[in-house]
Amino acid sequence: MSDFLSAYSIQNWLESCPQGYLEGTTFGHASSESEPASILENPILREDAIRGTVQLVVGERAALAASSGLINAAPDEASKRFLATQTIDEARHVEIFTQRLFDLGVKKTELEDVIKAMASPHLVAFAGVLLEKVDKKDFVAGVVGQNIVLEGLAFSVFEMQHAVNKEMNPKFAHTLAGTIADERRHVGFGENRIGSLLKEEPHKKPAIEKMQKDMSYHILATFADAFRRNTKAFEEEQRIGDRQRELTGAAPGKMEWQGANLADLAPAEMEQLLASTVLREFKIRLDRLGLEYQTPAAP
Amino acid sequence: MSREVHTLAPDEFLDEVHSFEFWFHSIQGYLADAEYGHRPGTPESELPPDRRERLITVLCNYCIGETAALDGASGLIGFAPNRQAKIFLATQVVDEARHLEVLIHRLAELGVKDPEAEIQRRATRSLQAFRRRLLELVAGKDWEAGIFAQNVILEAMEFAAFQTHARNADPITRELLEGIIKDERRHMGFGENDLGRRLSATPHVRARLQQIKRELDPLVLETFEEMLAELDVPREERPELGRNYLETVERLGFTS
Repeated sequence: MSDFLSAYSIQNWLESCPQGYLEGTTFGHASSESEPASILENPILREDAIRGTVQLVVGERAALAASSGLINAAPDEASKRFLATQTIDEARHVEIFTQRLFDLGVKKTELEDVIKAMASPHLVAFAGVLLEKVDKKDFVAGVVGQNIVLEGLAFSVFEMQHAVNKEMNPKFAHTLAGTIADERRHVGFGENRIGSLLKEEPHKKPAIEKMQKDMSYHILATFADAFRRNTKAFEEEQRIGDRQRELTGAAPGKMEWQGANLADLAPAEMEQLLASTVLREFKIRLDRLGLEYQTPAAP
Repeated sequence: MSREVHTLAPDEFLDEVHSFEFWFHSIQGYLADAEYGHRPGTPESELPPDRRERLITVLCNYCIGETAALDGASGLIGFAPNRQAKIFLATQVVDEARHLEVLIHRLAELGVKDPEAEIQRRATRSLQAFRRRLLELVAGKDWEAGIFAQNVILEAMEFAAFQTHARNADPITRELLEGIIKDERRHMGFGENDLGRRLSATPHVRARLQQIKRELDPLVLETFEEMLAELDVPREERPELGRNYLETVERLGFTS
């Protein structure tokens, strides 16, 4: 165990993250980059970007509360130290996504009201399931909920958003690229550390599997909510894209993710692709840990 | 992030100095070329066996203090009153974890095979008691009491102890303590700033914090006494450390 945990030291984190892929960035992107005018000047797209970013802030706030809350419950010093790096990663994510809300025109004095008004209630319920385990200092369940379920979810959502924004909004894509690198490390820790702890406490498996089922239900409900709401923004993006292509004669762009061109998909198809990707990844990771994936009810 | 912080309005100032960005730029200056808290080329001193033993005991107790700080700071995030405080505390969490890591690494450099077991074996009673009380305050979700015990008392205790020790330490230990001291300064600044604003708005809180101080001071001073004996500081010089600690806390507005 100690050998694997040495890869998650503060020293490694300092060299790979702040002194590595974040070097030279400001709030996760190059300081010369800004949100595109096509979003800032279009009320439909701007509201959609704000709503989407609010969900990221809510998710990251939950991750910050969970990772910091788990430090006290960690059974060894090395896990505490890894969770400290995860805590600061999550705080950074809260900061950069909050900064994006400001960049999109949300006033500092309105921040909490905007978050409250736009946060998906399903995402809030999802965070509640996780934080209940953390409050009870249940380290094994907390790490599965945090580093397998929540981080696995964030990883897929960020990757999909990265594919969508790579050409349209390089600033946001760069912000996401750093968070994806962080999430990969967090998921890796969860998979490596929890396997051995579950062997010591196999009686915890049923409760953890139920937690995964409950959290997965809220994930699907969050996706349904998000994709249903963004139909107008989707149509607006299509309209702007068609008009640009008419003017420039350029071919439609490609947004490759999970073998699909996202530019060709309707919102319902994107929701389906994202949901099936997230659940498939859960299944693979839980299987590695010796946990049985539980299919959630359809929202 | 090149703005001159002292020209900012109070809200903007807090946004700036409690950010990941600010933290990152602060630590870059002194950690960029360090590995486990010291420059790779810093020479190792040949310590006589008894001095090495004493140093191990002292470092083990620093580890107890840093673990308390790590558990305390992480526990405070969950009920911190605003986003800026949460983000600052997250930077403090990783600072405390780094301190723990470099101290454990130093123990390994000094030949300790199982640092975790050694830390438990050599921990002083007073520091263990301090840790338990701090974590009780944090578990009670009492923000003022938690931040006072953590960012004023514990940080001032560590600041005073590390400064005294660094003056007489071997080169490697001195370098890693100097890096830790720089972090502690930032943490005390946060405690002073946050509590200062709260105390001016709610002066009755001061009496409660004074009570906590009266409870924790004997544990701090007892810990100093035990540490200084291990560091071989002459008996007549020992009160200086306690005085330094009391003066640091007094500067923050808390008298004995």
